[in-house]
Amino acid sequence: MNHTRRYLLACLGYAGGLSAGGSPWGRRLSEALPAAAGVPDHAASSLRRLLDDRTHARQLGADYRARFPAESDPEVLTRLILDAVAPFDRSPRQLRHELLLPALHRSVRAEFGAGTTVQVRGWILALTEARLCALCA
Amino acid sequence: MFVDARQLPQDTEVEADICIFGAGAAGITLARALGGGNRSIAVFESGGYDFEIDTQNLYAGDVIGFSYTPIDRDRLRYLGGSTNHWQGSCRPFEAFDLDDWPFGLDVLEPYYRQAQQICQLGPYNYDPQDWIDAEARPIAGSSGDSLKSGLFQYSPPTRFGTVYRDDLAAAGNLTVYLHANLVGIDTNQAASSVTGVEIACLTGKRFRARARHYVLATGGIENVRLLLNCTRVQKSGLGNGNDLVGRYFMDHVYVPRAATVLADVSSPEVRFYDHHVVRGQPIEGILTASDEMRRAKQMPPFYIGFRVPVPAISELGMDRLPAPVRKLLGEGVASSIEYYYSRTASGMQLPAKWLYEKLWRTPPGTFVTCYCSGPYPDPDSRVTLSDTVDALGLRQARLDWRVPADFVQDMHRAHEQLAQLLGRTGIGRVRIESSETGYDPMQDVVNAHHHMGTTRMHDDPRQGVVDRDCRIHGIGNLFVAGSSVFPSYACDNPTMTIVALALRLSDHLKSLTS
Repeated sequence: MNHTRRYLLACLGYAGGLSAGGSPWGRRLSEALPAAAGVPDHAASSLRRLLDDRTHARQLGADYRARFPAESDPEVLTRLILDAVAPFDRSPRQLRHELLLPALHRSVRAEFGAGTTVQVRGWILALTEARLCALCA
Repeated sequence: MFVDARQLPQDTEVEADICIFGAGAAGITLARALGGGNRSIAVFESGGYDFEIDTQNLYAGDVIGFSYTPIDRDRLRYLGGSTNHWQGSCRPFEAFDLDDWPFGLDVLEPYYRQAQQICQLGPYNYDPQDWIDAEARPIAGSSGDSLKSGLFQYSPPTRFGTVYRDDLAAAGNLTVYLHANLVGIDTNQAASSVTGVEIACLTGKRFRARARHYVLATGGIENVRLLLNCTRVQKSGLGNGNDLVGRYFMDHVYVPRAATVLADVSSPEVRFYDHHVVRGQPIEGILTASDEMRRAKQMPPFYIGFRVPVPAISELGMDRLPAPVRKLLGEGVASSIEYYYSRTASGMQLPAKWLYEKLWRTPPGTFVTCYCSGPYPDPDSRVTLSDTVDALGLRQARLDWRVPADFVQDMHRAHEQLAQLLGRTGIGRVRIESSETGYDPMQDVVNAHHHMGTTRMHDDPRQGVVDRDCRIHGIGNLFVAGSSVFPSYACDNPTMTIVALALRLSDHLKSLTS
C-alpha cells in the first residue's frame, strides 16, 4: 500500500474526526487566504479550516480539480460548498466552526445517502468533501 | 464396518441395495442417513483413512481457461474427502438463491436444520440482529439500501471422515470399502438402467458390485469424469445425451483485497464483518445484495467482508518460488508448496489482527474488503476429458473455468454501494483498488475451491442432467449427490447445502427401497 493509516485519517478526517467525537489527530491550520468574490469574505478560510491536514487533502483536491476544471476557481468551489452546507445563512455567525462542522457532516452523509459521490484516487467521497479538498489544493 | 478392498479376493461380487461412490460430505451423510436400517449399503471410497500420494494423483488433470488451482490440490481423496481441508464456513441458501431450482426453500429447510447439527454449528439462526454483542453489531440499515447484512457460522470444521468414522463402523447394514475406485458403470443396451459397476484398486485388483440403486458422490469434477469415461453404450458419456454433463462448472470468484476501508477504530459495525466469536460460536458478518437488488437481478450474488490488511502474497513477491528452486524441486512439488503457502498466508487474518492489537493497543483503523461473487452459470465453463489416462486407465479431467467479462465492473459497483452505506452511516470511507491506486486486485483473484453445477438439476432433460430427485435423466437407478447437481448458486459456501441435499436424497432412496 502507498499510504498509512495516519495519512488516511489525516486526509479524510475533518477537525472533529469522522465520527461525532472530538479531533484525535492533526493540528489546525489557520492560514488566511484571499476572500472569494461573490461569497462572504470569510467563507473560504472558514471552510479550509475544516480540514486539519491540508497537505494531504491537497493531493486529493488536485486530482479533483484536474477532473473537473470548471470548478478550479476557488470562488466557484466556495459557492458550491456553501450551497451544500449553508444554503440560506452565510453570516459570520453561521460560518463559525462549531456550526459549520456539523453542517458539513450532515451534508456529507446526505450526499452519500443520495449517491452524490465522486471517485478520487480510488476513494469514493461525497461531492462536498471532495470539493473541500479541492479548495485546499 | 470398514474393509480394505485390496484384501478382497479377485473378482469378488459385492451386492447391496444401494451403492454409494465417494465418502466425502455427501457420501458420508448419505451413508449415515441410510445406515442402521434393513437396507444393505455399500460405500466405495478411493482412498484410505489418510492421505496417500498415489491415490491423490488420480485427481490429476489439466486446467485451461481462467487461472485455477491445480485440480489435484483442490480436493482430497481419502475418507472424508475435501472436508479434510475445508475452512468450515456455513450458511444456508436464501429463497432467492433457489429461484432456478425445481424446489424452494420450504423443501430444503428441514434438511438445513439437520445439516446444522451435522456440521457441528450453533443454533439454526442466521439473522444478524440475533448475533449482536458488546463488541460487534451489524450496520443499521434503512429502506432503500442496496446492501444488507448476513452472516456465516463456522464449523469447527467438521472432518467428516474422523467425526463420523465410528458411526459408519457401527452401522450393521453398512460396509465401507476403502481403496476402491469406481472405473466402469455398465448399463443395459438402452442405457436406462445400471446393471453393475467395476471397481479397481491401484494394486491391480478388480471386482464388481451390483445394487438396486447407485449414487455418485465423488465431487463436482470427478462425478463428471466418471460419467464421461463410460462410453460403451452412450458414446458421449453416460447421461450425456444432451451434452450437458460437465457444463456449467461454477466456482466462486474470490478477491482477497478488493478495496481499502478507512473506519473509526472504535466502530463495532466494522468488527461485525470480520471473523469473531459470539456466545462461543465463531461467526463472520457479511454484506450482500439487498432483497430488492436480488429481485431485480441487477447483480449476481456476492458478499463483502472486512479483513485486517495482511499484505497480498503477490505484493511480497512470494507467490512464486525462485526459478532455480523450482527447477530443483520439480514443477509438481514447487506448485504444491506455492499452493499451500498461499492458503496458509491467506489464513493469517486472526494472528495478524491479534498482533496489531497487542503492539498498538488499539484495533486497526484500516481494513481491506474481501469480495466473493457467484457469477451466473455459463455453459462454456466446463469439465471435459483430456487424452491423458490415469493409473487405472481412465481419462483425466480437463477444467475450463470461465469468469465473466463484467466481473470487475460488478465488483466495483458492489463497493460503490458499500461506500454509500459507510458514508451515509458515518462509519468510514472506501477506496476501490485498481491499477490507478497502485494495486490491481485482479492479480490476486482466486477460485474458492467449490466445484458445482456440472450435473445440474432440472426437470427438463434438455436443461439438466439430473431431475429434482437427483436421478440422472433416462437412467432409472443412477443418482448424483453433491454440489455437481446445483443448477445455480449463491455466494454461500456449498457444504451445508451439499449435506442438506444428501439428506433429502436419502429420504427419497428410503422411499424407493422400503
